Amino acid sequence: MDDIDAMFSDMMQEMDLLTQSFEAETESAPLPKPPSIPAPQEMNFSIGFTDLNASLHDLEDNDLDALMADLVADISATEEKFATERDTFKGSAPVAQIPSQPQSNFNLIASTDTSRPATSSNSIAAPPPPPTSKPSKEELEEQMKADKIKLALEKLKEAKVKKLVVKVEITDGSSKTLMVDERQTVRDVMDNLFEKTHCDCNVDWSVCETNPDLQTERAFEDHENLVEPLSTWTRDTENKVLFQEKKDKYEVFRNPQNFYMWKKDKKSLKDMKDKDKEQLLEENFCGASVIVPDLEGILYLKEDGKKSWRQRYFLLRASGLYYSPKGKTKASRDLVCLVQFDNVNVYYCKEYRIKYKAPTDHCFILKHPQIQKESQYIKYLCCDDVWSMTLWVTGIRIAKYGKQLYDNYKAAVRKAAGSATWANRTIQTSSNASTPSPTPKAKAANGHASHPAVETKGPGNQTSFPPPPPPSMEILPPQPPDPMLPPPLPAPSSTTKVNKFPPPPQFPQSSIPPPPTDDLPPPPPPPEDAEQPPDFLPPPPTSMTSYGGAALPPPPPEPLASLPPPPPAPQNFASAGGAPPPPPPPPPPPAPAPAAYQPTNSVRKVAPSPPQRTTPQLAAPSGGDFMSELMTAMQKKRSQP
Amino acid sequence: MAAWDLTVTVEDLGPDAPPLQISVTSDLHIGGVILKLVEQTNLKRDWSDHALWWEQKQQWLLRTGWTLDKCGVHADARLIFTPQHKPLRLGLPNGATLKMRACFSSPVFRTVMGICRVLNLRHPEELSLLRPVEEKKKKKDKDSSEELYDLTDVPLTAGSVQALYNGMPAHFADSPKTEAVYKMLSVSLPSPAPEAIAKLYRPASIVDKTHIHTRWLDSSRSLMQQGIQENDKLGLRFKYYTFHDMDPKYDAVRLTQLYEQARWAILLEDIDCTEEEMMLFGALQYHIGKQSLSQDMVSSCQGMDDLESALKSLEVKMVGDGNSTDMLDNMTAPELNDHLKIFRPKRLTLKGYKQYWCKFQETSISYYKSKEDRYGEPIQQLNLKGCEVAPDVNVAGQKFCIKLLIPAPEGMNEIYLRCENEKQYSQWMAACKLASKGLTLLDSSYQSEVQNIQTFLSMQRSSSAAPTSQTDESINTHSLVSPRYQKKYKPKQLTPRILEAYQNIAQLSLTSAILKFLQIWQALPDFGISYFMVRFKGSRKDEVLGIANNRLIRIDLGVGDVVKTWRYSNMRQWNVNWDIRQVAIEFDGNINIAFGCVNADCKVVHEYIGGYIFMSTRAQQQSDTLNEELFHKLTGGHEAL
Repeated sequence: MDDIDAMFSDMMQEMDLLTQSFEAETESAPLPKPPSIPAPQEMNFSIGFTDLNASLHDLEDNDLDALMADLVADISATEEKFATERDTFKGSAPVAQIPSQPQSNFNLIASTDTSRPATSSNSIAAPPPPPTSKPSKEELEEQMKADKIKLALEKLKEAKVKKLVVKVEITDGSSKTLMVDERQTVRDVMDNLFEKTHCDCNVDWSVCETNPDLQTERAFEDHENLVEPLSTWTRDTENKVLFQEKKDKYEVFRNPQNFYMWKKDKKSLKDMKDKDKEQLLEENFCGASVIVPDLEGILYLKEDGKKSWRQRYFLLRASGLYYSPKGKTKASRDLVCLVQFDNVNVYYCKEYRIKYKAPTDHCFILKHPQIQKESQYIKYLCCDDVWSMTLWVTGIRIAKYGKQLYDNYKAAVRKAAGSATWANRTIQTSSNASTPSPTPKAKAANGHASHPAVETKGPGNQTSFPPPPPPSMEILPPQPPDPMLPPPLPAPSSTTKVNKFPPPPQFPQSSIPPPPTDDLPPPPPPPEDAEQPPDFLPPPPTSMTSYGGAALPPPPPEPLASLPPPPPAPQNFASAGGAPPPPPPPPPPPAPAPAAYQPTNSVRKVAPSPPQRTTPQLAAPSGGDFMSELMTAMQKKRSQP
Repeated sequence: MAAWDLTVTVEDLGPDAPPLQISVTSDLHIGGVILKLVEQTNLKRDWSDHALWWEQKQQWLLRTGWTLDKCGVHADARLIFTPQHKPLRLGLPNGATLKMRACFSSPVFRTVMGICRVLNLRHPEELSLLRPVEEKKKKKDKDSSEELYDLTDVPLTAGSVQALYNGMPAHFADSPKTEAVYKMLSVSLPSPAPEAIAKLYRPASIVDKTHIHTRWLDSSRSLMQQGIQENDKLGLRFKYYTFHDMDPKYDAVRLTQLYEQARWAILLEDIDCTEEEMMLFGALQYHIGKQSLSQDMVSSCQGMDDLESALKSLEVKMVGDGNSTDMLDNMTAPELNDHLKIFRPKRLTLKGYKQYWCKFQETSISYYKSKEDRYGEPIQQLNLKGCEVAPDVNVAGQKFCIKLLIPAPEGMNEIYLRCENEKQYSQWMAACKLASKGLTLLDSSYQSEVQNIQTFLSMQRSSSAAPTSQTDESINTHSLVSPRYQKKYKPKQLTPRILEAYQNIAQLSLTSAILKFLQIWQALPDFGISYFMVRFKGSRKDEVLGIANNRLIRIDLGVGDVVKTWRYSNMRQWNVNWDIRQVAIEFDGNINIAFGCVNADCKVVHEYIGGYIFMSTRAQQQSDTLNEELFHKLTGGHEAL
């Protein structure tokens, strides 16, 4: 561990230096502005930088390891690439750059990560088929060239892969921090979370976003990318990412009859045979086009810009949400379209009776994902009861996502089935792990217990994380008497060992409001930690949260754990402090461990993009600077007669 | 055994020739009769297609091994010796009329199979023949003006030959004439004139829709038996709305004809849709029409397409690595710079458009006070990624505005860009559209997008100038929508709306546009329901029964509301009492219904239900051969073969 940290910090320092020198270089260069860095990204840049350190610390060891590996690979790859690149460029490439290569790499890294060669080569293999026209040979060739160039440029673009470090809150009040790159789908992220939390992997687990301003919540669909929506959040957002079970998510596939035959008495549908359910799904989801449930009925619509809610007769169609104007029939031609689904998502809302004087609390809204505050462009709808809200929201999701939703479900089922066996095994190991192993229900208990804790502590900083409720649903050990005390986490044996030993070292954070530390134990971790295997689990033992929740004073004295807020790990702190928030490129000072804790919301908009695991090479390491290089080359060329 | 004279008319001797008398005994088999007959005619020709038709009994004597006695033929019988295959005028789903030979002696089901084999239509079981709408005021001159495609010379091949020659089945490649027929079959026809649509019969109510289904022929009896004569006109239509195994690779004709049927169903208001849906259908029709025009016969063959694109991409790869200099040249291109007028509507503002210097780069527009300021900080930079782009154009009024709705956390920013002329508009508009999808000017679709916009504008120009004129380049938008919308909107109001819908689909290839059209059609709530006027047992009023591929729907005639739905999956059995022509169906849970048909033969209803059940069995059977026997078993009734 120490070694790694040391190495890492060294590396970072070096990068830092190099970057600075490179910056100097660029400044002197007469380039107007490298086109490669579009403005919006710059913004991300700086956002990222403010808490890059912090987020790095939040990462788990194994992630750090991976990062390290990436860095190393990256650098060597860059060098290699440079060698090759020179050849390719037939000398037109700016030679001067060579030494500075690696740093520029880092410069870039901030918001975008370089892609791995793999991707780029793939893309070559399957280039978008060039337009099919049949011009003359020359034209063709020209076209070809143009296409090729476009292709190359696209590759360059691909080379920049954005990454975010995201803090995900879990139902039991704990949280996990992980790095998400922009190509990862929510499914990938969940698989990752399953691994980290050892929950039971059932299909209901969802990654959700909440927006306290709008009081909304939405579960991301499994096929969505996580980075994109998160990067449109405002800087000061209080939005959170939650990992929790949502029964509604796939209910339509478990009981399609309740949605597709909603007009019928629910009781009569209760014992529908599985075969019939399957057939319903087949009919509605496997045809040439997905059939949307034929929902219709009265909903309340909040009138534009007014406080009043107006009843309207709504109908759901695949093409959008319609209502029938007063005095007209329900015939298709008379319907008025309220909204089509291409550009909006559907969100569940909380407590709109108070917030907007809605007739009931069962509201949902439709809005563009980027809208984060109250706006006239949001459509507010209110249903009579929970069930009808579920119906409408699910119906809208079906209309919007179509078959994709069913595919997601099937993938989730496969995942759940695959992990079931595994889970069983863990249960065994974990059950003997120790004392009050969290019971199945303990999960719930935990959740309850820790929620208050969260509140007291302030948003998003539940600290360390009791290793996730183990999947041990089946075992019903006696509940721990004190709900506040989340039982020690039975984790896979290897890790458990370690974890259990150092229980006492309570990190101060629990008492401190802001610091959202997580698993990464501050630098001076108990010795045991040092030997920890890289895949060290979310460490801390037991009771952290509980303490926090209980508002107990931070327990045992830990050397660093000075009571007051500021982050532990003084040594690094200094250095960390040096390179704080603002401007973009400053490479994160090497902060091996804890360092700057930033009171952030659960999501870090960090664009720390330490290079990818796979070794990048060509375009990769230098996505951006390849561009700038090209620019220089170009300039040279231009200046020639 | 006593010999007696049998009277047989031989059609080939001419209409005025007297019937032949041949001397036969009752134990002579049919084959023997034919032999004697042929000998007596003294004509040397191929008689293999000929058979005996017994006019009084309206039946064919096809079993050559049966004796006259067994067939029940006595001296009073008047037989006709006639070919089994006769020419038929076939009204295709696309509105064209095709003359071709069809079998008049086998059950219609098999006749349709034969027709489809010639036309290269897979899954003939989904189609059937119906009598044309009786034209009340039949003008003779109109009949002659009708363009007729002739395929009567094409020999009927036995097996399902899929041999391709020149991208079409071999039997079409014989002559330019047959090639033209294939083109008509496999490429969608240009949009009809709006007046032509308005003139055609449109069902005005659900009652009218029930009339269509009175016209289906009985699948288990032959054409002759149903009174169809040589050269009569019949319609060929998709009858069962469940399209099995649609594969663009093999189904060029099927897909095109299905699209045509769907298009006419929309244009003639056979199926209701909302305004939004109509605009999308209109845009798709426009796009499909344009693509079909530009498409070459050869390239319509999918295989060639694949090969071509594969070759092209190969070339790209080969040339790809060499010349980076070209790349540099091209990389500097991706910008648009121009003077544009910008307007941001705000409450309580009277400010109008103001001119700025605008720069389009990557996915953003930056604007500056003047051209001279362009190196400084822009007044504002708008990132268009994820925004909504809508045209606000009036060619006649020389108004070329782009309306942008740019999402922001606070809502949507509404911004108008006003361009000077068409050229400027199409460039900026195309750029905005691409940017909204996250693509830059470098994207290969940019040029085609610019062109698309220009053609569409020219369409508006011509439609506002002379509403009825129609050329290849420009079509009247009125011909893309049903008469209801023709009345509701003038072409110049319609064009922008279709244009708006068009921008979302302009990128689709011909095949995907057709598939998209079909998909939206199939997602309409009323899709695939065939209506019959029935009277339920115990009820005193007429009601409508809708038959769909998975359910029966009882519909109130007055209001049009669905009263009850029964699904086939719950069906225990159904049968027909042919004496009182009543259909009785039993569902699970002891639900029994019975009804008689008011305007259609109950055989048609029976066949529909049985047909759908037959269609649903196809999924399980992997084999390509059609289970004809099962079809007749399910649909034949008591007269089943």
